[in-house]
Amino acid sequence: MRLPWQWLLTITSVASLSQAHASSWNMPVGVTDTSRNIFGLHMTIFWVCVVIGVIVFGVMFYSLFRYRHSKGAKAARFHEHTSVEVLWTAIPILILVGMAVPATATLKNMYDASEADLDIMITGQQWRWRYEYLGEDIAYTSNLSTTREQIRGESERDEHYLLDVDEPLVLPINRKVRFLMTSDDVIHSWWVPELAVKQDTIPGFINENWVQINEPGIYRGQCAELCGVNHGFMPIVVHAMEEAEFETWLEERKEAAEQEAMGVDREWAIEELMARGEEVYQSICSSCHQGEGQGAPPAFPALAGNEQLINELDWHLDRVINGVSGAAMPAFRNTLNPVEIAAVVTYTRNAWGNETGDTVQPATVAERIAQ
Amino acid sequence: MWSVVKSVLAALLGVQNDRQRQQDFSNGKPVAFIITAVVVTMMFVLLLAGIAIYAAG
Ligand code: HEC
Ligand SMILES: [Cu+2]
Repeated sequence: MRLPWQWLLTITSVASLSQAHASSWNMPVGVTDTSRNIFGLHMTIFWVCVVIGVIVFGVMFYSLFRYRHSKGAKAARFHEHTSVEVLWTAIPILILVGMAVPATATLKNMYDASEADLDIMITGQQWRWRYEYLGEDIAYTSNLSTTREQIRGESERDEHYLLDVDEPLVLPINRKVRFLMTSDDVIHSWWVPELAVKQDTIPGFINENWVQINEPGIYRGQCAELCGVNHGFMPIVVHAMEEAEFETWLEERKEAAEQEAMGVDREWAIEELMARGEEVYQSICSSCHQGEGQGAPPAFPALAGNEQLINELDWHLDRVINGVSGAAMPAFRNTLNPVEIAAVVTYTRNAWGNETGDTVQPATVAERIAQ
Repeated sequence: MWSVVKSVLAALLGVQNDRQRQQDFSNGKPVAFIITAVVVTMMFVLLLAGIAIYAAG
Protein backbone atom coordinates (compact mmCIF):
# COMPACT_ATOMS: atom_id res chain seq x y z
CA MET A 1 0.00 0.00 0.00
CA ARG A 2 1.23 3.43 -0.85
CA LEU A 3 0.72 6.14 1.68
CA PRO A 4 -1.18 9.24 0.58
CA TRP A 5 1.94 11.38 0.53
CA GLN A 6 3.66 8.84 -1.74
CA TRP A 7 0.81 9.11 -4.18
CA LEU A 8 1.08 12.86 -4.05
CA LEU A 9 4.79 12.63 -4.82
CA THR A 10 4.14 10.37 -7.83
CA ILE A 11 1.47 12.68 -9.17
CA THR A 12 3.57 15.82 -8.82
CA SER A 13 6.64 14.22 -10.40
CA VAL A 14 4.59 13.01 -13.37
CA ALA A 15 3.06 16.46 -13.63
CA SER A 16 6.38 18.30 -13.58
CA LEU A 17 7.74 15.90 -16.19
CA SER A 18 4.94 16.66 -18.59
CA GLN A 19 5.50 20.33 -17.96
CA ALA A 20 9.22 20.21 -18.70
CA HIS A 21 9.25 18.16 -21.92
CA ALA A 22 7.01 16.75 -24.49
CA SER A 23 6.75 13.29 -23.11
CA SER A 24 5.54 10.45 -25.27
CA TRP A 25 1.93 11.03 -24.28
CA ASN A 26 1.89 14.78 -24.74
CA MET A 27 2.06 16.95 -27.85
CA PRO A 28 5.57 18.05 -28.88
CA VAL A 29 6.94 21.39 -27.69
CA GLY A 30 8.22 21.94 -31.20
CA VAL A 31 10.90 24.19 -32.63
CA THR A 32 9.09 27.41 -33.52
CA ASP A 33 7.81 30.25 -31.34
CA THR A 34 4.30 29.40 -32.48
CA SER A 35 4.61 25.75 -31.49
CA ARG A 36 5.97 26.81 -28.08
CA ASN A 37 3.08 29.23 -27.60
CA ILE A 38 0.62 26.51 -28.49
CA PHE A 39 2.28 24.08 -26.11
CA GLY A 40 2.28 26.72 -23.36
CA LEU A 41 -1.41 27.43 -23.89
CA HIS A 42 -2.16 23.73 -23.89
CA MET A 43 -0.38 23.22 -20.57
CA THR A 44 -1.90 26.34 -18.98
CA ILE A 45 -5.38 25.31 -19.94
CA PHE A 46 -4.67 21.77 -18.84
CA TRP A 47 -3.69 22.99 -15.36
CA VAL A 48 -6.70 25.30 -15.16
CA CYS A 49 -8.86 22.24 -15.90
CA VAL A 50 -7.00 20.17 -13.32
CA VAL A 51 -7.52 22.78 -10.59
CA ILE A 52 -11.21 23.18 -11.44
CA GLY A 53 -11.64 19.41 -11.59
CA VAL A 54 -9.98 18.89 -8.21
CA ILE A 55 -12.10 21.59 -6.56
CA VAL A 56 -15.41 20.55 -8.10
CA PHE A 57 -14.98 16.82 -7.64
CA GLY A 58 -13.40 17.38 -4.22
CA VAL A 59 -16.45 19.29 -2.98
CA MET A 60 -18.76 16.77 -4.60
CA PHE A 61 -17.14 13.64 -3.17
CA TYR A 62 -16.67 15.26 0.22
CA SER A 63 -20.37 16.16 0.35
CA LEU A 64 -21.42 12.72 -0.81
CA PHE A 65 -19.39 11.16 1.94
CA ARG A 66 -19.96 13.62 4.75
CA TYR A 67 -23.72 13.99 4.29
CA ARG A 68 -24.54 10.41 3.50
CA HIS A 69 -27.94 8.90 4.12
CA SER A 70 -26.71 6.34 6.65
CA LYS A 71 -25.63 9.17 8.93
CA GLY A 72 -29.13 10.60 8.83
CA ALA A 73 -28.46 13.50 6.46
CA LYS A 74 -31.59 15.33 5.26
CA ALA A 75 -31.72 17.17 1.94
CA ALA A 76 -32.01 20.93 2.25
CA ARG A 77 -35.04 22.39 0.50
CA PHE A 78 -34.51 25.94 -0.65
CA HIS A 79 -35.31 27.51 -3.99
CA GLU A 80 -32.53 29.87 -4.84
CA HIS A 81 -29.52 31.79 -3.72
CA THR A 82 -29.00 34.62 -6.15
CA SER A 83 -25.55 35.76 -5.03
CA VAL A 84 -24.08 32.24 -5.16
CA GLU A 85 -25.63 31.71 -8.59
CA VAL A 86 -24.20 34.98 -9.88
CA LEU A 87 -20.82 34.01 -8.48
CA TRP A 88 -20.72 30.60 -10.14
CA THR A 89 -21.74 32.17 -13.42
CA ALA A 90 -19.28 35.04 -13.23
CA ILE A 91 -16.22 32.96 -12.27
CA PRO A 92 -16.39 30.68 -15.35
CA ILE A 93 -16.90 33.74 -17.55
CA LEU A 94 -13.74 35.29 -16.13
CA ILE A 95 -11.81 32.04 -16.54
CA LEU A 96 -12.97 31.62 -20.14
CA VAL A 97 -12.16 35.20 -21.10
CA GLY A 98 -8.83 34.85 -19.31
CA MET A 99 -7.99 31.83 -21.48
CA ALA A 100 -9.39 33.37 -24.64
CA VAL A 101 -7.13 36.42 -24.56
CA PRO A 102 -3.74 34.64 -24.95
CA ALA A 103 -5.31 31.99 -27.22
CA THR A 104 -6.66 34.65 -29.58
CA ALA A 105 -3.35 36.51 -29.58
CA THR A 106 -1.56 33.29 -30.61
CA LEU A 107 -4.13 32.53 -33.29
CA LYS A 108 -3.88 36.01 -34.69
CA ASN A 109 -0.13 35.68 -34.93
CA MET A 110 -0.46 32.28 -36.63
CA TYR A 111 -2.60 33.78 -39.37
CA ASP A 112 -0.24 36.65 -40.08
CA ALA A 113 1.76 35.30 -43.01
CA SER A 114 2.81 38.77 -44.18
CA GLU A 115 6.39 39.98 -44.60
CA ALA A 116 7.95 36.60 -45.25
CA ASP A 117 11.58 36.25 -46.35
CA LEU A 118 10.91 33.23 -48.51
CA ASP A 119 7.82 31.91 -50.31
CA ILE A 120 7.34 28.23 -50.95
CA MET A 121 4.50 26.68 -52.89
CA ILE A 122 3.50 23.31 -51.49
CA THR A 123 1.36 21.12 -53.73
CA GLY A 124 -0.22 17.85 -52.67
CA GLN A 125 -0.39 15.17 -55.32
CA GLN A 126 -1.49 11.55 -55.22
CA TRP A 127 0.84 10.57 -53.51
CA ARG A 128 3.75 12.89 -53.00
CA TRP A 129 4.53 16.50 -52.17
CA ARG A 130 5.87 19.07 -54.56
CA TYR A 131 7.89 22.05 -53.35
CA GLU A 132 8.49 25.15 -55.40
CA TYR A 133 10.78 27.93 -54.19
CA LEU A 134 9.03 30.92 -55.68
CA GLY A 135 11.34 33.36 -57.42
CA GLU A 136 14.28 30.95 -57.15
CA ASP A 137 13.59 28.64 -60.11
CA ILE A 138 13.75 25.61 -57.90
CA ALA A 139 11.03 22.99 -57.83
CA TYR A 140 11.04 19.32 -57.07
CA THR A 141 8.87 16.50 -55.81
CA SER A 142 9.51 14.69 -52.58
CA ASN A 143 8.75 10.97 -52.69
CA LEU A 144 8.60 8.22 -50.12
CA SER A 145 11.97 6.46 -50.00
CA THR A 146 11.10 3.51 -47.77
CA THR A 147 11.77 0.42 -49.88
CA ARG A 148 9.07 -1.93 -51.13
CA GLU A 149 10.81 -4.82 -49.36
CA GLN A 150 10.32 -3.06 -46.03
CA ILE A 151 6.68 -2.34 -46.80
CA ARG A 152 6.04 -5.97 -47.71
CA GLY A 153 7.87 -7.08 -44.58
CA GLU A 154 10.60 -8.81 -46.60
CA SER A 155 13.37 -6.82 -44.99
CA GLU A 156 13.80 -5.20 -41.63
CA ARG A 157 12.01 -1.90 -41.12
CA ASP A 158 14.30 0.99 -40.32
CA GLU A 159 13.87 3.70 -37.73
CA HIS A 160 12.06 6.07 -40.08
CA TYR A 161 9.83 3.48 -41.69
CA LEU A 162 7.32 5.32 -43.96
CA LEU A 163 8.71 8.64 -42.70
CA ASP A 164 11.60 9.03 -45.12
CA VAL A 165 11.77 10.77 -48.49
CA ASP A 166 14.23 11.06 -51.35
CA GLU A 167 14.39 14.86 -51.19
CA PRO A 168 13.32 16.72 -48.07
CA LEU A 169 11.97 20.24 -47.99
CA VAL A 170 15.00 22.37 -47.10
CA LEU A 171 14.42 25.50 -45.03
CA PRO A 172 16.64 28.09 -43.36
CA ILE A 173 16.31 28.66 -39.63
CA ASN A 174 15.54 32.12 -38.17
CA ARG A 175 13.73 33.27 -41.29
CA LYS A 176 10.05 33.68 -41.82
CA VAL A 177 9.01 31.24 -44.53
CA ARG A 178 5.58 31.54 -46.06
CA PHE A 179 3.83 28.48 -47.44
CA LEU A 180 1.28 28.75 -50.25
CA MET A 181 -0.54 25.46 -50.20
CA THR A 182 -2.69 23.78 -52.79
CA SER A 183 -3.40 20.43 -54.40
CA ASP A 184 -3.46 18.99 -57.92
CA ASP A 185 -6.07 16.32 -57.29
CA VAL A 186 -7.85 15.67 -54.00
CA ILE A 187 -7.61 17.27 -50.56
CA HIS A 188 -4.40 16.49 -48.70
CA SER A 189 -3.10 17.97 -45.48
CA TRP A 190 0.49 19.01 -44.82
CA TRP A 191 1.23 18.19 -41.20
CA VAL A 192 4.51 18.51 -39.30
CA PRO A 193 3.85 18.40 -35.54
CA GLU A 194 7.23 19.89 -34.51
CA LEU A 195 6.46 22.98 -36.62
CA ALA A 196 2.86 23.23 -35.41
CA VAL A 197 1.65 23.36 -39.02
CA LYS A 198 -1.28 21.29 -40.16
CA GLN A 199 -2.91 22.81 -43.20
CA ASP A 200 -5.30 21.31 -45.72
CA THR A 201 -4.23 21.58 -49.35
CA ILE A 202 -7.31 21.94 -51.51
CA PRO A 203 -7.52 21.79 -55.31
CA GLY A 204 -8.44 25.23 -56.65
CA PHE A 205 -7.63 27.04 -53.42
CA ILE A 206 -4.43 28.47 -52.05
CA ASN A 207 -4.08 28.36 -48.29
CA GLU A 208 -1.40 30.30 -46.48
CA ASN A 209 0.68 29.36 -43.50
CA TRP A 210 4.14 30.21 -42.21
CA VAL A 211 6.98 28.99 -40.03
CA GLN A 212 10.06 30.44 -38.47
CA ILE A 213 12.20 27.59 -37.21
CA ASN A 214 14.54 28.19 -34.27
CA GLU A 215 16.67 25.07 -34.33
CA PRO A 216 18.36 23.21 -37.17
CA GLY A 217 17.29 19.61 -37.52
CA ILE A 218 15.16 17.07 -39.36
CA TYR A 219 11.43 17.23 -38.71
CA ARG A 220 9.01 14.62 -39.96
CA GLY A 221 5.32 14.57 -40.70
CA GLN A 222 2.62 12.95 -42.78
CA CYS A 223 -0.36 13.68 -44.97
CA ALA A 224 -3.23 14.13 -42.53
CA GLU A 225 -6.21 13.95 -44.86
CA LEU A 226 -7.31 10.59 -46.26
CA CYS A 227 -6.48 10.96 -49.96
CA GLY A 228 -6.57 7.54 -51.56
CA VAL A 229 -4.83 4.16 -51.38
CA ASN A 230 -1.33 5.53 -50.82
CA HIS A 231 -2.32 8.14 -48.25
CA GLY A 232 0.03 6.49 -45.77
CA PHE A 233 2.91 6.67 -48.24
CA MET A 234 3.40 10.41 -48.72
CA PRO A 235 5.40 11.54 -45.70
CA ILE A 236 6.95 14.96 -45.18
CA VAL A 237 10.54 15.58 -44.16
CA VAL A 238 11.77 19.08 -43.39
CA HIS A 239 15.49 19.70 -43.16
CA ALA A 240 16.13 22.98 -41.33
CA MET A 241 19.61 24.42 -41.84
CA GLU A 242 21.72 27.33 -40.67
CA GLU A 243 21.21 30.26 -43.00
CA ALA A 244 24.69 30.09 -44.60
CA GLU A 245 24.31 26.38 -45.24
CA PHE A 246 20.90 27.03 -46.78
CA GLU A 247 22.35 29.63 -49.15
CA THR A 248 24.95 27.10 -50.31
CA TRP A 249 22.24 24.49 -50.85
CA LEU A 250 20.18 26.99 -52.83
CA GLU A 251 23.13 27.76 -55.12
CA GLU A 252 23.84 24.08 -55.68
CA ARG A 253 20.22 23.41 -56.48
CA LYS A 254 20.13 26.25 -58.98
CA GLU A 255 23.27 25.01 -60.69
CA ALA A 256 21.85 21.51 -60.90
CA ALA A 257 18.69 22.94 -62.46
CA GLU A 258 20.78 24.79 -65.03
CA GLN A 259 22.73 21.66 -65.84
CA GLU A 260 19.45 19.85 -66.27
CA ALA A 261 18.19 22.60 -68.58
CA MET A 262 21.32 22.26 -70.69
CA GLY A 263 20.69 18.52 -70.84
CA VAL A 264 17.58 19.27 -72.87
CA ASP A 265 19.62 20.39 -75.85
CA ARG A 266 21.98 17.50 -76.16
CA GLU A 267 21.48 14.06 -77.62
CA TRP A 268 21.00 11.37 -74.97
CA ALA A 269 22.14 7.75 -75.32
CA ILE A 270 19.56 5.05 -74.70
CA GLU A 271 21.46 3.68 -71.66
CA GLU A 272 21.39 7.11 -70.01
CA LEU A 273 17.71 7.53 -70.70
CA MET A 274 16.92 4.04 -69.42
CA ALA A 275 18.83 4.57 -66.16
CA ARG A 276 17.22 7.93 -65.53
CA GLY A 277 13.83 6.63 -66.65
CA GLU A 278 13.89 3.78 -64.20
CA GLU A 279 14.50 6.19 -61.31
CA VAL A 280 11.64 8.40 -62.41
CA TYR A 281 9.35 5.45 -63.00
CA GLN A 282 9.99 3.88 -59.61
CA SER A 283 9.53 7.10 -57.67
CA ILE A 284 6.59 8.60 -59.60
CA CYS A 285 4.69 6.08 -61.70
CA SER A 286 5.03 2.78 -59.85
CA SER A 287 2.51 3.69 -57.15
CA CYS A 288 -0.21 3.33 -59.81
CA HIS A 289 1.25 1.30 -62.67
CA GLN A 290 3.17 -0.96 -60.25
CA GLY A 291 6.84 -1.88 -60.07
CA GLU A 292 6.97 -4.11 -63.15
CA GLY A 293 4.56 -2.09 -65.27
CA GLN A 294 1.91 -4.74 -64.72
CA GLY A 295 -0.62 -2.13 -63.59
CA ALA A 296 -3.63 -2.89 -61.41
CA PRO A 297 -6.54 -3.20 -63.84
CA PRO A 298 -9.17 -1.99 -64.09
CA ALA A 299 -8.06 1.06 -62.08
CA PHE A 300 -4.54 1.41 -63.47
CA PRO A 301 -3.76 -0.02 -66.93
CA ALA A 302 -0.71 -2.21 -67.48
CA LEU A 303 2.13 -0.55 -69.39
CA ALA A 304 4.06 -3.78 -69.91
CA GLY A 305 2.80 -5.48 -73.07
CA ASN A 306 0.35 -2.62 -73.72
CA GLU A 307 -0.35 -2.88 -77.50
CA GLN A 308 -1.41 0.71 -78.06
CA LEU A 309 1.57 2.01 -76.12
CA ILE A 310 4.00 -0.13 -78.09
CA ASN A 311 2.52 0.85 -81.46
CA GLU A 312 1.75 4.53 -80.96
CA LEU A 313 4.69 6.59 -79.73
CA ASP A 314 2.85 9.83 -80.23
CA TRP A 315 -0.16 8.75 -78.22
CA HIS A 316 2.15 7.47 -75.47
CA LEU A 317 3.94 10.82 -75.23
CA ASP A 318 0.64 12.66 -75.16
CA ARG A 319 -0.67 10.56 -72.24
CA VAL A 320 2.38 11.35 -70.12
CA ILE A 321 2.65 15.03 -71.04
CA ASN A 322 -1.06 15.90 -70.87
CA GLY A 323 -2.49 13.16 -68.68
CA VAL A 324 -6.04 11.90 -69.09
CA SER A 325 -8.54 14.45 -67.93
CA GLY A 326 -11.28 12.98 -65.80
CA ALA A 327 -9.11 9.96 -64.95
CA ALA A 328 -6.44 9.47 -62.29
CA MET A 329 -3.59 9.79 -64.83
CA PRO A 330 -1.92 13.14 -64.00
CA ALA A 331 -0.45 15.50 -66.60
CA PHE A 332 3.31 15.62 -66.07
CA ARG A 333 4.09 18.65 -68.25
CA ASN A 334 4.56 20.88 -65.22
CA THR A 335 5.75 18.43 -62.63
CA LEU A 336 8.47 16.61 -64.57
CA ASN A 337 11.05 18.33 -66.74
CA PRO A 338 11.63 17.33 -70.41
CA VAL A 339 14.61 15.16 -69.51
CA GLU A 340 12.58 13.20 -67.00
CA ILE A 341 9.64 12.78 -69.34
CA ALA A 342 11.87 11.66 -72.22
CA ALA A 343 13.64 9.24 -69.91
CA VAL A 344 10.52 7.70 -68.42
CA VAL A 345 8.86 7.31 -71.83
CA THR A 346 11.99 5.70 -73.25
CA TYR A 347 12.14 3.46 -70.23
CA THR A 348 8.51 2.30 -70.51
CA ARG A 349 9.01 1.62 -74.21
CA ASN A 350 11.97 -0.66 -73.57
CA ALA A 351 11.41 -2.27 -70.18
CA TRP A 352 9.53 -5.42 -69.15
CA GLY A 353 9.57 -6.93 -72.63
CA ASN A 354 8.35 -3.76 -74.41
CA GLU A 355 11.19 -4.01 -76.91
CA THR A 356 10.48 -1.14 -79.27
CA GLY A 357 14.08 0.11 -79.32
CA ASP A 358 12.69 3.69 -79.46
CA THR A 359 14.43 6.56 -77.77
CA VAL A 360 12.72 9.85 -77.08
CA GLN A 361 15.01 12.84 -76.84
CA PRO A 362 14.44 15.59 -74.25
CA ALA A 363 14.47 18.19 -77.03
CA THR A 364 11.48 16.49 -78.70
CA VAL A 365 9.57 16.55 -75.44
CA ALA A 366 10.43 20.21 -74.83
CA GLU A 367 9.08 21.04 -78.28
CA ARG A 368 5.83 19.14 -77.64
CA ILE A 369 5.33 20.91 -74.34
CA ALA A 370 5.94 24.31 -75.94
CA GLN A 371 3.26 23.70 -78.60
CA MET B 1 -39.49 49.64 -18.13
CA TRP B 2 -36.31 49.39 -16.07
CA SER B 3 -37.55 46.21 -14.47
CA VAL B 4 -38.09 44.69 -17.93
CA VAL B 5 -34.50 45.50 -18.93
CA LYS B 6 -33.25 44.10 -15.65
CA SER B 7 -35.14 40.87 -16.19
CA VAL B 8 -33.82 40.53 -19.74
CA LEU B 9 -30.24 41.08 -18.56
CA ALA B 10 -30.79 38.52 -15.80
CA ALA B 11 -32.03 36.06 -18.46
CA LEU B 12 -28.89 36.73 -20.51
CA LEU B 13 -26.79 35.74 -17.52
CA GLY B 14 -29.12 32.87 -16.67
CA VAL B 15 -29.79 33.86 -13.08
CA GLN B 16 -33.08 35.27 -11.75
CA ASN B 17 -34.72 35.36 -8.33
CA ASP B 18 -38.15 33.93 -7.78
CA ARG B 19 -39.80 37.12 -6.49
CA GLN B 20 -38.93 39.02 -9.64
CA ARG B 21 -40.03 36.11 -11.80
CA GLN B 22 -43.46 35.96 -10.17
CA GLN B 23 -43.84 39.70 -10.65
CA ASP B 24 -42.84 39.55 -14.34
CA PHE B 25 -45.29 36.77 -15.03
CA SER B 26 -48.22 38.45 -13.30
CA ASN B 27 -47.73 42.08 -14.40
CA GLY B 28 -45.50 42.12 -17.48
CA LYS B 29 -46.52 42.04 -21.15
CA PRO B 30 -44.79 39.38 -23.29
CA VAL B 31 -44.29 41.80 -26.21
CA ALA B 32 -42.23 44.15 -24.03
CA PHE B 33 -39.90 41.31 -23.05
CA ILE B 34 -39.54 40.02 -26.59
CA ILE B 35 -38.70 43.41 -28.07
CA THR B 36 -36.28 44.26 -25.26
CA ALA B 37 -34.63 40.85 -25.59
CA VAL B 38 -34.15 41.26 -29.36
CA VAL B 39 -32.61 44.72 -28.86
CA VAL B 40 -30.34 43.56 -26.03
CA THR B 41 -29.21 40.52 -28.06
CA MET B 42 -28.38 42.72 -31.02
CA MET B 43 -26.42 45.08 -28.78
CA PHE B 44 -24.55 42.09 -27.36
CA VAL B 45 -23.66 40.84 -30.85
CA LEU B 46 -22.51 44.32 -31.87
CA LEU B 47 -20.41 44.55 -28.71
CA LEU B 48 -18.69 41.25 -29.49
CA ALA B 49 -18.18 42.24 -33.14
CA GLY B 50 -16.71 45.55 -31.96
CA ILE B 51 -14.25 43.78 -29.66
CA ALA B 52 -13.29 41.37 -32.45
CA ILE B 53 -12.74 44.18 -34.96
CA TYR B 54 -10.73 46.15 -32.43
CA ALA B 55 -8.61 43.06 -31.54
CA ALA B 56 -7.98 42.28 -35.22
CA GLY B 57 -6.61 45.81 -35.48
C1 HEC C 1 -2.23 8.49 -59.72
C2 HEC C 1 -2.07 7.33 -60.50
C3 HEC C 1 -1.15 7.38 -61.73
C4 HEC C 1 0.16 7.79 -61.78
C5 HEC C 1 1.03 8.32 -60.65
C6 HEC C 1 0.57 7.59 -63.15
N1 HEC C 1 -0.47 7.10 -63.89
FE1 HEC C 1 -0.40 6.63 -65.87
N2 HEC C 1 -2.37 6.20 -65.82
C7 HEC C 1 -3.19 6.20 -64.72
C8 HEC C 1 -4.54 5.86 -65.10
C9 HEC C 1 -5.74 5.76 -64.18
C10 HEC C 1 -4.52 5.65 -66.49
C11 HEC C 1 -5.68 5.31 -67.40
C12 HEC C 1 -6.30 6.60 -67.89
C13 HEC C 1 -7.52 6.35 -68.76
O1 HEC C 1 -8.59 6.18 -68.20
O2 HEC C 1 -7.32 6.34 -69.99
C14 HEC C 1 -3.14 5.86 -66.91
C15 HEC C 1 -2.71 5.74 -68.22
C16 HEC C 1 -1.41 5.83 -68.62
C17 HEC C 1 -0.93 5.60 -69.95
C18 HEC C 1 -1.81 5.18 -71.09
C19 HEC C 1 -1.99 3.69 -71.02
C20 HEC C 1 -3.35 3.22 -71.45
O3 HEC C 1 -3.44 2.04 -71.81
O4 HEC C 1 -4.32 4.00 -71.37
C21 HEC C 1 0.41 5.77 -69.94
C22 HEC C 1 1.37 5.61 -71.11
C23 HEC C 1 0.80 6.14 -68.60
N3 HEC C 1 -0.32 6.17 -67.81
C24 HEC C 1 2.08 6.42 -68.20
C25 HEC C 1 2.41 6.88 -66.94
C26 HEC C 1 3.73 7.31 -66.57
C27 HEC C 1 4.96 7.28 -67.47
C28 HEC C 1 3.66 7.73 -65.30
C29 HEC C 1 4.79 8.32 -64.43
C30 HEC C 1 5.49 9.47 -64.96
C31 HEC C 1 2.31 7.55 -64.86
N4 HEC C 1 1.57 7.04 -65.88
C32 HEC C 1 1.86 7.85 -63.60
C33 HEC C 1 -2.80 6.50 -63.43
C34 HEC C 1 -1.54 6.97 -63.06
CU1 LIG D 1 -2.49 13.03 -49.16
